[in-house]
Amino acid sequence: MSKQTQAKSNWGTSYGELVWREFAKSRLSIVCLSFIVFLFAVAILAPFLANDKPFVIRIDGQLHFPIFRNLGASDYCIFLAAVVGCSQLLLIKRNHRHVDPSIRGAALWRQICISSSIILIGVILLFVFVPRRLDATDYKAMVACRQATDAIFAPIPYGYARTNLKLREQPPSWEHLLGTDDVGSDTLCRLIHGSRISLSVGFVAVGISTVIGILVGAILGYFGGKVDFIGMRIVEIMMAIPAFFLIITIVAFFARSLLNIMIIIGITSWTGNARFIRAEFFKLRKQDFVQAAVSLGLPLRSILFRHMLPNGIAPVLVNATFGIAGAIFIEAALSFLGFGVAPPTPSWGQMLSLGVSTTGRFLWWLTLFPGLAIFFTVLAYNLVGEALRDAIDPKLRTR
Amino acid sequence: MTGKVAVPATAKRKRRKNIEQGISNVEAKVPNMVNTNDYLLRVAGLKTYFPVKKGLLQRTIGYVKAVDGISFGIQAGQTLGLVGESGCGKTTVARSIVRLVPATEGSVVFDQTDVLSADRVKLRELRRQISLIFQDPFGSLNPRMTVGNIIGESLKVQKKAAGSELIERVTALLSKVGLSPDHINRYPHEFSGGQRQRISVARALALEPKLVICDEPVSALDVSIQSQILNLLKDLQDEFGLTFLFIAHDLAVVEFFCDIVAVMYMGKIVERAAKEELYRNPLHPYTRALMSSIPQVERDPSPSRRGRRTTLGGEVPSALNPPAGCAFHPRCPLAEGVCLKQMPVLEEKGDYEGHFVACWKCQKKLIIDNG
Amino acid sequence: MNDNGTLLSVEDISTHFFTEEGVVKAVQDVSFAIMKGQTFALVGESGCGKSVTALSIMRLVPEPQGKIVSGEIVFEGKKLLSLSEKGMRQIRGNEIAMIFQEPMTSLNPVYTVGNQIVEAIKLHQKKSTSQAWSDAVEMLRRVGISDPQQRVREYPHQMSGGMRQRIMIAMAVSCEPVLLIADEPTTALDVTIQAQILDLLDRLQEQNGMSILLITHDLGVVAERADDVAVMYASRIVEVAESRQLFAEPLHPYTQGLLESLPRLGITAGRLQTISGTVPEPLHFPAGCKFHPRCPVGREDRRCQTVEPKLREVRPGRCVACWYARDRRQRAEDRRQSPESAAVDEG
Repeated sequence: MSKQTQAKSNWGTSYGELVWREFAKSRLSIVCLSFIVFLFAVAILAPFLANDKPFVIRIDGQLHFPIFRNLGASDYCIFLAAVVGCSQLLLIKRNHRHVDPSIRGAALWRQICISSSIILIGVILLFVFVPRRLDATDYKAMVACRQATDAIFAPIPYGYARTNLKLREQPPSWEHLLGTDDVGSDTLCRLIHGSRISLSVGFVAVGISTVIGILVGAILGYFGGKVDFIGMRIVEIMMAIPAFFLIITIVAFFARSLLNIMIIIGITSWTGNARFIRAEFFKLRKQDFVQAAVSLGLPLRSILFRHMLPNGIAPVLVNATFGIAGAIFIEAALSFLGFGVAPPTPSWGQMLSLGVSTTGRFLWWLTLFPGLAIFFTVLAYNLVGEALRDAIDPKLRTR
Repeated sequence: MTGKVAVPATAKRKRRKNIEQGISNVEAKVPNMVNTNDYLLRVAGLKTYFPVKKGLLQRTIGYVKAVDGISFGIQAGQTLGLVGESGCGKTTVARSIVRLVPATEGSVVFDQTDVLSADRVKLRELRRQISLIFQDPFGSLNPRMTVGNIIGESLKVQKKAAGSELIERVTALLSKVGLSPDHINRYPHEFSGGQRQRISVARALALEPKLVICDEPVSALDVSIQSQILNLLKDLQDEFGLTFLFIAHDLAVVEFFCDIVAVMYMGKIVERAAKEELYRNPLHPYTRALMSSIPQVERDPSPSRRGRRTTLGGEVPSALNPPAGCAFHPRCPLAEGVCLKQMPVLEEKGDYEGHFVACWKCQKKLIIDNG
Repeated sequence: MNDNGTLLSVEDISTHFFTEEGVVKAVQDVSFAIMKGQTFALVGESGCGKSVTALSIMRLVPEPQGKIVSGEIVFEGKKLLSLSEKGMRQIRGNEIAMIFQEPMTSLNPVYTVGNQIVEAIKLHQKKSTSQAWSDAVEMLRRVGISDPQQRVREYPHQMSGGMRQRIMIAMAVSCEPVLLIADEPTTALDVTIQAQILDLLDRLQEQNGMSILLITHDLGVVAERADDVAVMYASRIVEVAESRQLFAEPLHPYTQGLLESLPRLGITAGRLQTISGTVPEPLHFPAGCKFHPRCPVGREDRRCQTVEPKLREVRPGRCVACWYARDRRQRAEDRRQSPESAAVDEG
């Protein structure tokens, strides 16, 4: 044991730890990161925070748990992903304390493979086995009519799809903290559920664009020459088309589903990443440590994935952070224009568009609150990206 | 790295013999005169040109002749020094030899295998026997890998060692280059320049190469560290019988480290001789100017050397349009007539066998009776 | 030292950098004096504080992290540290000029070299533009640039490193400064070009009678060009002497080690002498004499390990910061008594 602790004191600080240390120096970036974590928590726990179904209710002397009965496959998928993701983060932390640095990379790679396969299999199983239920029971009415007792509701006891035409276009009150919209749904509830859309659009769209960007950029950057020449022209043509109009055009042809929007945003915004990675690879190819790897007779796989990619990926990750903010923005804009997800699924941009009602009244609470949500989320992502960019500054590598 | 290579003593003796003999002729035009088997590395007529491209269609408008017809040979256990100012092509020579840069013409024969025409598998095999040490101690180590991985990766990839044996060998290498075995799990940024250069040396030695190409290994280091690294390289050479191609711009370092010295100017070797001979009797005006330009520390309180030197005027011409005739003629104090028109060839001149000079103005070889 | 011949005297300057990791004491109690018309060299390895000393003299230490915490700099009777920023600007470039190591980046790439020299001239001297231009051409001729009429209209990227360093020198001496601070002026250049630049500095010094503070790590350059030398190690001056005396008979063990570890032409014996270990990190200086972990004497001596020696005059004209300042002969005797291995134990 004592030998082991001694060995640990000899462990060096990895690049990741250095970046984190530099990142954590700024209080603002920590605040922004916490805000994003908070948003994620809200998005994951949305059904428990805002739901018109009670956690527990006693009907005819029998206890029921309607909130859990009503969770769909996608809800369970989100929980599963959240649990796996959190444990992956804990594992990374544990790796840094307990896994020998020389095999840490392999261990991490293995863990990520296992985690993602768990998520993948879990999602498939959940969608196959969890039945779709539609429970239209109005439990609140039941409680009001004394048909049921002992009901425990979520903190915001409204459903995002529940309409109430009697209560439409209400300004903020104690009943509805942020008011109601044109069909009488609670704004706060829709805001909470809308965070799921915004965050997942950001993540998946940027994930798609980053993967495409890295692949294309790596190919162009490594091979260079004619491949690069032709590839770059294609990338430039892509960049010359205004992305937003391209997206609107494509969206008009397809069903208005969340997945479609994510994919479309993803496949139209990879050009920046491709250029980044290409430039990095060009630079790295001439670096001495890559030349050294070549001259040691290491195979191409090792040169590309062990020596070049880890050193070239940092700026892409930073770019991805900005990309998430951009994707959230695009989704909001699409929804605002009515090309977003179909109602009743809530989305911040779509809520924003309801600010001017059909009667011509300006409903300030429907503009202000989703607007603030978009603003702060995009701001937080941008600030985190900026802090990350400062943290990976090349001066770290030399000192 | 536990088993000591069995030839240090013989290699040393052989080296000494070579110095005494001087290097014999390895010119491309007279390959039959030497037994090629004697040489571990033989470079003949090596040319590396870089095309200069311009315009939208990337048309080639000319060539930078970075290396323009270079020939030399290194015998096993010997150290050849390649000296020259920045931009003279010495680094390109090193990179062309291991085909990090494609050579345009010529031949490189390593251990009786032609490097330039080797296929992928063969080339990888060759690269394991030739390793490189780079100048910049900060750029030559992957910042994302631990020292252990940097040194051990090639061993692992070649399946020469794994698991605890790998760690053992890496530890042995670390202590061989004067680092603590505790450093195995650290990252490069935690080391100073000199220590990083030691890591580079350990990486270069991991596969027990026959030839080590050192590309300015000490020029980025402070004086006190520089001497440590030079000593280390020399000790390792004695221990493992290594052969070095040592590239530097510092003539004093080269004199300390090498057996044979070749001076490069604008992609060509202008003078090549055994160390003792070259430093005692530099013939090419460029070599002389180089030697005279080095500021010297003189330990005796004699009057300062101010004004005693012969400073070379002018600057190295652009490699894109080199001057006609001898490339050195615009700066040469002796240049006249033929120098401006015709390129001199590297010929044996001077008092000793194996002293090659490419200069029209140098005296012809003196026939002396040396018993 | 003779007071009326002194141009610049630096008295117990300390410059610290206040960083997040702690206070970096880049320069500690550095004192030296430069005579009129003299070349004074400050020599040391990278990170020893020689450049920061130069910046302190120019009062160009990057604020707010860097600060001159104590000491005084007297230049021609003026106390530089108590001058206003405006007064300092009068001196900078006009009376004290500076050239830097990197000739590639110290010129502005978007202006012609002529523009940049003219700007420097007009800033400090009341001259018409046309006069300044002809001065610029004259300056270029003086620094040995052929065809100055043509060159003055060219951009920095059209010139080689040596040429750019000449331009920098032309700018620096255009206002006839009395002190030129040259911070590693030839480090980025090849030896043949280095010799040209050093010759040029020599010539200009003869013509102008200016003093030069030469900052370098190259002992060879110092030996050939400097009148007096101060050797710096870990932010302190460890030895000051006349250059010939210093090289003939170094007294501080660090200076001795440096000189012995230098590969020199004509010396090809089996191994080089080395100084073991590495330069300490400025945040983790050892207690006592900062050189003691690398010093053959200091490694075992209690006093060296605990008390830092001050620079003191051990014999006329020789100042050393060492408890056991010895010359070569004495040290050889020491070594005979206790054989010291030149083993390498770094880190």
